[in-house]
Amino acid sequence: MSDVPTPHSRRQFFGKLAQGAVAFGAAPGAVFSATNPFAYDVSRFGRTDPAMIGWEEISRRTTPLPEARRIAIGAGNIVHVAAGSEIVRWKTDGALPSLKAGAMVTCLALPRDELVFAGLRDRIVSFDTEGRARVIWQAENDGSWFSGLAVSEHDIWIADSGLRVIWHCDRAGKVLGRVGQKDRERDRAGLVVPSPFLDVRLHPDGLLRVNNPGRHRVEAYTPEGDLEFTWGKPTAAVPGFCGCCNPIALAILPDGRIVTAEKGLPRVKVYASDGTFESVVAGTETFAENVRRCGNASDCTRGGLDVAVDSEGRIHILDRVTGEVRVMRPKARA
Amino acid sequence: MKPGVDPEPRGRRHFLRGGARLMALTGLAGVAGRLAPRTSAQTSVWQIDPLKCVHCSNCATECVLKQSAVKCVHAFAMCGYCELCTGYFEPEPNALTTAAENQLCPTNAIKRTYVEDPYYEYEIDEALCIGCAKCVEGCSRFGNGSMFLQIRHDRCLNCNECAIARSCPAEAISRVPVGHPYRLKTGGH
Amino acid sequence: MAHRAWLLLLFAAAALGAESRFPPPDFEGGHQVPVPTTPAARALTLEYLDVVVLVAALGLATWLVYRSRSRRGITWLSLFSLGYFGFYRRGCVCAIGAIQNIAFGAFEPGYAIPLTVLAFFVAPLVVALFFGRTFCAAVCPHGALQDLVLVKPLKVPSWLEHGLGVLPFFFVGAGVIFAATGSAFLICRYDPFVPLFRLTGSVGLLGLGAAFLVIGTVIGRPYCRFFCPYGALLRLASLAAKWRVRVTPDTCTQCRLCEHSCPYGAMREPSGGAAAAESPPIERRRLTLLLLVLPVLIGLGALAGYQLAPAAARLHPTVALAEFHLRNQASPTKYPAMTPEALSLERAAADPETLIASAKRVRQRITLASWLLGAWVGLVIGAKLIALSVRVTRTDFEPDRGGCVACARCFLSCPNERVRRGLPVEALPAAAAAEPAVAAVAADAK
Repeated sequence: MSDVPTPHSRRQFFGKLAQGAVAFGAAPGAVFSATNPFAYDVSRFGRTDPAMIGWEEISRRTTPLPEARRIAIGAGNIVHVAAGSEIVRWKTDGALPSLKAGAMVTCLALPRDELVFAGLRDRIVSFDTEGRARVIWQAENDGSWFSGLAVSEHDIWIADSGLRVIWHCDRAGKVLGRVGQKDRERDRAGLVVPSPFLDVRLHPDGLLRVNNPGRHRVEAYTPEGDLEFTWGKPTAAVPGFCGCCNPIALAILPDGRIVTAEKGLPRVKVYASDGTFESVVAGTETFAENVRRCGNASDCTRGGLDVAVDSEGRIHILDRVTGEVRVMRPKARA
Repeated sequence: MKPGVDPEPRGRRHFLRGGARLMALTGLAGVAGRLAPRTSAQTSVWQIDPLKCVHCSNCATECVLKQSAVKCVHAFAMCGYCELCTGYFEPEPNALTTAAENQLCPTNAIKRTYVEDPYYEYEIDEALCIGCAKCVEGCSRFGNGSMFLQIRHDRCLNCNECAIARSCPAEAISRVPVGHPYRLKTGGH
Repeated sequence: MAHRAWLLLLFAAAALGAESRFPPPDFEGGHQVPVPTTPAARALTLEYLDVVVLVAALGLATWLVYRSRSRRGITWLSLFSLGYFGFYRRGCVCAIGAIQNIAFGAFEPGYAIPLTVLAFFVAPLVVALFFGRTFCAAVCPHGALQDLVLVKPLKVPSWLEHGLGVLPFFFVGAGVIFAATGSAFLICRYDPFVPLFRLTGSVGLLGLGAAFLVIGTVIGRPYCRFFCPYGALLRLASLAAKWRVRVTPDTCTQCRLCEHSCPYGAMREPSGGAAAAESPPIERRRLTLLLLVLPVLIGLGALAGYQLAPAAARLHPTVALAEFHLRNQASPTKYPAMTPEALSLERAAADPETLIASAKRVRQRITLASWLLGAWVGLVIGAKLIALSVRVTRTDFEPDRGGCVACARCFLSCPNERVRRGLPVEALPAAAAAEPAVAAVAADAK
């Protein structure tokens, strides 16, 4: 015979049970432990000894468009930033109309004669004073990826990351030669470029400066392609080049000193023209946002920094992640 | 008397029961019908979106399986084949050799083989990989990001509620149709 | 003109394809760059085969209970189900968990319920609406496992049986609510037997499973009777079933030999003169009182649900992250780099406004859901009390419609059934003759 339970005690019983059930279930679903035995932590390399820093920031400005990739300074110290498929321009007192390239701009060069040269991954275009683009040279081979450009009075030097070579053309687009190729007979190891960051610069001493990221060094070539000397060592410590492939960008100061930019541990440094380490322009700890977003992003090939030098010897640093451009000048000697 | 035949006389209870049964069947049909546009012929499996992953190492510890079903996958076509691979070597290795002290991987799951100067190939041994994402972090921070984690479906039990998915700080794990069970990185600039 | 359009398209296509990837090094020795392997998941045809096996097993179980009336057949089928749905399929996807998928799919636009899961949910219910809980008998691997470990069933006191019997209804409500709001699949998370099927799991869950098995040796089917949320639905469906499991299709002679043959406390006695002890007015009064109390119970339950809403909301990952972020802003803690906590906080700090806004929306939904869950709990309690007050007229010993899991153990304890099947009546199974009094009655019946 089933006896009828009294409502009162049953309700209490069930109520308590319900509360307990929800409380049990409401225990945090994911219990974190605040430890990560598999943490990859390079923060100890991100601190720069203040004694090494020889430059200070004057100003900072954010690129109005996303996907900022390259920076170059033109005549009159007009800052050009390649962002997406446009080249944004500004002077200290205001912005100028941007140049529309129609395709992703991967490198920039501004010779003294006010023309703008840009690389659009596999071709070189030049912009006239009205902003119209004209194709100077289309790459002949598949796989070209132009990531660096240097233009002098008569020559164009194109750093092709895809084919791991520096092209030498004249201003009309005729190929004159190649620099930096692998050459077994002449015991040249060639350029090792794991990601599109090959860069080329013209140095006042007449030699080209090319970064060889996979070998963590800067190489000096004659225009004919002879390797003169190299410098640089792979180390996460400040005087060397960190990670797997650095430096990713070069700039030359008016007196011939070389400015390098790195990714992974983003930092900008100045070396003497023979490669002796001189000072840090901006240390890793000043690029916290770059480190944070690059670390969480799926890869670092959209990270890192680019550098350019203006006629007064100031260094402009483009943060490729945040789009900020900082202007740095040497610290006053105490 | 035939087995299974209900000898209960056709009374009010019987009528009510029949009515309840009809309502239940209609209700089930209604539920099924309303959900019909929201069904899929394919079942779904779990997969990590490598573009959202933050390399927190929960994949190694949260899977219901003792050895996690998450393994590192190497997209060789994105790799730079660097001699100093930051996904393979500790940040400041003593030497660029396969010695354990120089390696990032806690289980020696990455095999480094020489291809030609100066290129080396790095291959993941899935039997040893625990899915801790240490190499993924190293590769993503300094390199091309060609190493990334994926749930391997020859190991995954396909739980209805993935234990790793619910502990993922980036909410990077979600359901994908069983016909396309991987989210591989292909690279692209 | 068309020519140029085609060329343009070709160039565009080439450009699009070429845009994709920075090329790997050009190996002099012709080294081939390997391709990552992609081992396939379980074939879709096998998933559909599971549904076929399910339907076949349901059909066979029903036939075994109603036509063949064979306990041995049920046992063998249970073993098969334990092996197939349990250890081979590792208990997933199962009908019990499918409730959550249905609830989730009904409210989450981004989730498409696989047809196999829908079939797993619907098939046993449809069968139960006609034939009772034959799914529980021999198809559900959880039930099969508990059935197998049963050694010496003890009788659970009636008040406890009825008291705990409302728990499955709470769990189905909670399971549906938490799945519908996208917070958690609680039924899966706290399933005691699936870690055993997987042969791997956390210490806590494996221990819970072991505890259920140990208790299951003396209390029959503890999970089925007191916890299984799908069992609650099957119980309701079974109440409306067209056919019911009977100890024997023959006449019941009230010999009481089957009284203790059910290890799950589902055997009901005929309502004789003793039941009529309470005069109708008292019972009608109690029933009226309970009907009036019902809305109060629902209201109180809803209030209780509202109180528990914040805790319930915390189960949802978005709300948990938002709360973690706000807590950390109030009293900042520095977590070591690369820990999940630090990374979660970084993700929250990237866009806190959106996170907090969506957490607020989720919390509102969960608060509403908690009202409903609380009201449901109140309704279940009230319904149970009303059900206990309603008098059921029974002339024979018969299994309870909702509680009988069709395990076929009671058949052979009935002498009429044995006669009908041509089996010897003297050899009664030991489990049925648990008490000396019954043995004496058995001696009389011969």
